[in-house]
Amino acid sequence: MIEHLFVLSITLFALGALFALCFYKWQMLGNYLSFILAAIASCVNIAIAISVLFNHTAERFNFLLYHAIITYSFLIDSLSAIFILAISVISLIASVYSLGYTKLYVNKRDMRFFGFHFNLFLLAMILVVTANNALVFMIVWELMTIVSFFLVIFEYENPFHRKAGFVYLFMSYICAVFISVAFFIMFSYVKTWTFDFDSFRYAGDIMPAISKNIVFFLVLIGFGIKAGIFPLHLWLPLAHPAAPSNVSMVMSGVMIKTAIYGFIRFYFEFLTPSPPWWGIIILIIGASSAILGILYALLEKDIKTLLAYSSVENIGIILIGIGLSMIFKSYNLMALSSLAMIAGLYHVLNHAVFKSLLFGCAGNIYYSTHTKNIEQLGGLIKRLQVTAPLFLVAVLSISAIPPLNGFVSEWLIFQSLLNGFTIPSVIVKVLTAICGATVALTGALVATCFVKAFGISFLAMPRSEYAQHAREVPVIMYVSMGLLAGLCIFMGLFPVKIMTTINHVNTELLGVNIAHTITSYDWLQTKTLQTNFSEISLKSVTVFGLMFFAITVGAITLINPGFTKKIYKTWTCGISPEPRFGYTATAFSKPFRIIFSNLYRPRREIETTYTVPKYFVKSIVYIAEITPIFEKYFYAPLSRYVLSISNKVRWIHTGSVHIYLVYIFITLIISMLVIGW
Amino acid sequence: MIQLIILPILQIVVIAGLSPLIKGFINNIEARFQCRKGSSLFQPYYNLAKLFRKDAVISETASWIFIATPYVTFVSILIIALLVPVLSSTVPANFTGDVILVIYLFALGRFFLALSSLDTGSAFGGMGGSREMTISSMAEPAMMLSVFNVAIINGSTNLSNITQAMLSYKLLSPSLFLSLAALAIVIIAEAGRIPVDNPFTHLELTMIHEGMILEFSGRYLALIEWASCMKLLILLTILVNTFLPWGIASGLTFPGLIVSFFLYIVKIGFFAFLIAIVESSFAKVRLFRIPNLLGTSFVLAVLAIITHYIVS
Repeated sequence: MIEHLFVLSITLFALGALFALCFYKWQMLGNYLSFILAAIASCVNIAIAISVLFNHTAERFNFLLYHAIITYSFLIDSLSAIFILAISVISLIASVYSLGYTKLYVNKRDMRFFGFHFNLFLLAMILVVTANNALVFMIVWELMTIVSFFLVIFEYENPFHRKAGFVYLFMSYICAVFISVAFFIMFSYVKTWTFDFDSFRYAGDIMPAISKNIVFFLVLIGFGIKAGIFPLHLWLPLAHPAAPSNVSMVMSGVMIKTAIYGFIRFYFEFLTPSPPWWGIIILIIGASSAILGILYALLEKDIKTLLAYSSVENIGIILIGIGLSMIFKSYNLMALSSLAMIAGLYHVLNHAVFKSLLFGCAGNIYYSTHTKNIEQLGGLIKRLQVTAPLFLVAVLSISAIPPLNGFVSEWLIFQSLLNGFTIPSVIVKVLTAICGATVALTGALVATCFVKAFGISFLAMPRSEYAQHAREVPVIMYVSMGLLAGLCIFMGLFPVKIMTTINHVNTELLGVNIAHTITSYDWLQTKTLQTNFSEISLKSVTVFGLMFFAITVGAITLINPGFTKKIYKTWTCGISPEPRFGYTATAFSKPFRIIFSNLYRPRREIETTYTVPKYFVKSIVYIAEITPIFEKYFYAPLSRYVLSISNKVRWIHTGSVHIYLVYIFITLIISMLVIGW
Repeated sequence: MIQLIILPILQIVVIAGLSPLIKGFINNIEARFQCRKGSSLFQPYYNLAKLFRKDAVISETASWIFIATPYVTFVSILIIALLVPVLSSTVPANFTGDVILVIYLFALGRFFLALSSLDTGSAFGGMGGSREMTISSMAEPAMMLSVFNVAIINGSTNLSNITQAMLSYKLLSPSLFLSLAALAIVIIAEAGRIPVDNPFTHLELTMIHEGMILEFSGRYLALIEWASCMKLLILLTILVNTFLPWGIASGLTFPGLIVSFFLYIVKIGFFAFLIAIVESSFAKVRLFRIPNLLGTSFVLAVLAIITHYIVS
């Protein structure tokens, strides 16, 4: 049954891709068909994921193609299923959203390849998390990279987008090299001579420590690039803003999570048992990604770049959960390991939901104002009246404000970090506490960052013509975003449901079931979420809040029944208010630019030109920018080095076909000799 | 069963009812330090009553966020009042959340205040909002670390469990002293008192919290003012009932509650008096020196954690 559904969803995605190509004259029709088919296929995948998660049966199927060198084997266990669930929900909503968003491009550009790549992209992600063979995995992984590359450079006439695409493609190839080398090293140790994941499982037992460590670092860098951990995040803030919003929604919401999937597969299945320092490294990388990601997001003015940096931060939070889980596991504290894993995976789901919502709303803003620079916006809350509350829900949940979903995973991360005191090593104990402080600082900075993002773009007065004349987007766009906002609220109010689902994954992955310890019933017989340190119930918080709200409103109405509101201009020291009086994004984040000036190294140039008498200023040119440290001190020397090496070996490439034939001949002889040996 | 209903009501009544008094008390003491007679202890009550009866002026630039903010702030503080042990270490709403939820509920109120500060499009508001978010970001790590330390010592993050555990905690641990010091600094920053923020100023260059609420008037201002009084009292209550819980009642025993109430007043009064002394003897720190102050608090908190692990 599951197998049929799986084939059905692949077929639907493939059909959708073809439909988009077929229509030249009615391109929009082709695209609509392909989006609708993608949406249906996603629904099918949701059904698959739910059925696997609740029946606790791993489904495996092999497709034997004619004369196939490799067996196309796929496995849907509960780990795959939870990622399929995240990917499919976001794919479904992104497809529906695209029905509206692509109107932006009607009659402006050739849309056929958009639907084609979009469908293949969604399909590739599903295949990545189900592949059960290293070769199949690499094929679909590369497919995912290439089609997403084409989506990133969709508006290719913009040189920045081309650069973004190039950087993305380049880094993705480095990532692929690292992962495939890791696979080959593991392959050389398993004695079955297949690339099947089944033979890789528990390869950790037969591999010597040194090669396990090498594979650990290869995987860390390989998947780290895709996930966007610091300092490998370079492509994220370039590619996400370049891609159309419905694509960046999927890329940031779920594509970077496939790397998290890779981490979990490798570190929890292939390379077990792991020494504690692996987990510590992941924990430290997670914490530093979180803090650095949000510090860079804080200073951004381009809303999509801001969101991209915030993805780096969230990947950091997820890695803190996963790193902790690894540490606990290596000390054999399985229940705690499971709790930390639940925290990490909960954040995977949460981030998928609210980041897609944020990118969708950023898309709505772009759709109606044609700008992504928040300095040019302002006053949108009165113009985009539906998008504004949706965006507010998203910024509240990403800032971990209760009772929304972001708070639940943040709370779980804190609870897991608190449990660090059970670890025997004092250094690790202190480290977990410091990580707690880092997460707290990150949380507060996220709140600041998103106060800025919402406040500057939606509140005050419009700062440009675009913002002044913004109009609400098509219904389908905000309805699909509304579904995500609903999910944010649902996942906040009913966390136990989600946690027990994730617990199924842990039962399989870690062999421990903590379902009975994560819930308890209070004296009102409502279900609360419980850990060994505490319990919370965001449902009750909401109920109490609504109760208090009703009482407050009632009471103050009784005190002054004849209350009137007088609407008047904002007081601006006697001048009539103008948009430029309002605070800007640059001004809002100025204190951070000063406090963290060691990191940002801000550069400021003020050039004043005067009219002939030196007292009258003619114009002032003000340039302020921050130094991107990693780009300047890490990537720039690296790329110079690579270029100089390539210059040195350039003489090999003469451009003459004869010489190349000689090369091929020599290579052939050498390889025959090697094999003959 | 009856105590499950009476205790939460009592908590809210005490917090909401006493908080303006604490503000009046601090103002009065500070006035006496300045050799003034000072306003009545009950002046904040009169102010609130006056504001509640007044009409409000609202900026034409402002949106529904501006109207929602006072309610969100006030309600979030009321929920916190439900979660904090005040007179009795039994907190019936314990299951609702722990100290982490409390910290994030403060963040909820602050989030909306900062948004509404931008909402009216005036420069002062944004200035206040930006600074408030900066200071709270800097305060957060120290706060969380002190909380971590106390939670690890007592095996719970639930405030009422912490109070109960501390009641029977016999050891005079140096790590708790360090946490107390760290938390005290954080509380001054969170409540917006000198040397971090001056609650009396209306000079644009110095105001932080006042800058955010500059555009509010009438009942909206009353709600926000009341909420900020309650925030101060709640922060002090957390400090008192975590580090000096002695004499707090457990359950709803009648003489116990009376004793507990008087002890509570004395303890809170003592800390309020300390705040008045600090406010009278220090000047407001420059904005960009505040990170140093909060950095000190952070270091204290780290030391607290390390001490705890080394001692135990």
